[in-house]
Amino acid sequence: MSDRVATILIVDDEEMVTTALRSFLQLETSYRVLTFTSPAQALQSVDNEPVDVVIADFMMPELDGIAFLKAMREKRPEASRILLTGYADKENAIRAINEAGLYYYLEKPWDNDHLQVVVRNGVERAELFRQLDAKVSELESAHDDLAGFRKRLIRAFV
Amino acid sequence: MSEKQQTSVQLLMAGLAHEINTPLGAIRSNRDVIQRVIARLSDILADEVVDESEIEQIRGLVKTLGEVIDIDAVAVDVITGLVASVRDCWHPDETTCRCVDLHEGIESTLLLLGHELKHRIEVVREYGEIPPVECYPSQLNQVFMNLILNASQAIAGEGKITIRTRSSGEDAIVEISDTGSGIASENLERIFDAGFTTKTTKSGMGLGLRICKEIIERQGGRIEVESVVGEGSTFRVSLPLKTVE
Repeated sequence: MSDRVATILIVDDEEMVTTALRSFLQLETSYRVLTFTSPAQALQSVDNEPVDVVIADFMMPELDGIAFLKAMREKRPEASRILLTGYADKENAIRAINEAGLYYYLEKPWDNDHLQVVVRNGVERAELFRQLDAKVSELESAHDDLAGFRKRLIRAFV
Repeated sequence: MSEKQQTSVQLLMAGLAHEINTPLGAIRSNRDVIQRVIARLSDILADEVVDESEIEQIRGLVKTLGEVIDIDAVAVDVITGLVASVRDCWHPDETTCRCVDLHEGIESTLLLLGHELKHRIEVVREYGEIPPVECYPSQLNQVFMNLILNASQAIAGEGKITIRTRSSGEDAIVEISDTGSGIASENLERIFDAGFTTKTTKSGMGLGLRICKEIIERQGGRIEVESVVGEGSTFRVSLPLKTVE
């Protein structure tokens, strides 16, 4: 595990929710917490920022939570995506899992201890994803090196 | 209450539960944060010696307390507003006529329907000047609720509901227009009839326009409708500004 500080991004159109979540996470963890009430702004913000965990409300103006997490998946596939919802709606939960590659589905009102465990696991998952990505890149470049070596070998002896 | 009417109330209740869940979620989390902060402050103070770094920690903890308590105040206001709206709109045994500002009733109704309208329907308020109207406000609010709920359900996807108010001669007028599917001309004459509906149970039944009409007429008023299929409908409620009954 690297020593970098993980970033948690929270999007809910209700500021009382984003502030409550931020207050808790800042009290109990050392993560960097970014909060947004606009999904569009949240999406813009990740252009230049790595993100480990994204927590999004389901019902938002502009973009619903599933569409938002889907767009986030395109931009930051490594980030663990969590949907926070006031609905215990099976249909939407399944949609979110399928369409947005959901990592976890949390219901309002949430329990802070549970939230903390989910976020911590989400951060670890994102880190593993990154490590895997790095290994795959290493393997690919090793493969390219080998292919180049093979070509040179053939050229030298054939 | 008939079985048909229940579905509309159920829809509202589900919406209301969701609207309350959001501030409640914040309050619940904040209460937990406050407990944790108090535990940390007690730990710091336990040895009765407070050093420089602990003072920094205390400052941070006090700041957190301030933040969560401010949010709690907002959350409590939201719940208080919702509960007040329920009281304004559900007063089953209302027996007294009162002089009220119709706009307050409309706003209470809109607050209660917030979940149904939010993110899908733009509500445009074109409020004019109306003097206080003597009426049975809770009954009247139920009429507004039904008209707005009908308007919302007439709109598939996104749309607009415009609420216009004015006084005209001896009447106070409230118009509720939607950009919905409209009502076919052959149905237009029947919508105020008992038992007439084109709705399915899934969308929820309201009081029914017949009961809305009775409530309005009991208060000396009228209800009219204009509609163009594919463009939308306008319901106009006129209430006498003079004392009735």
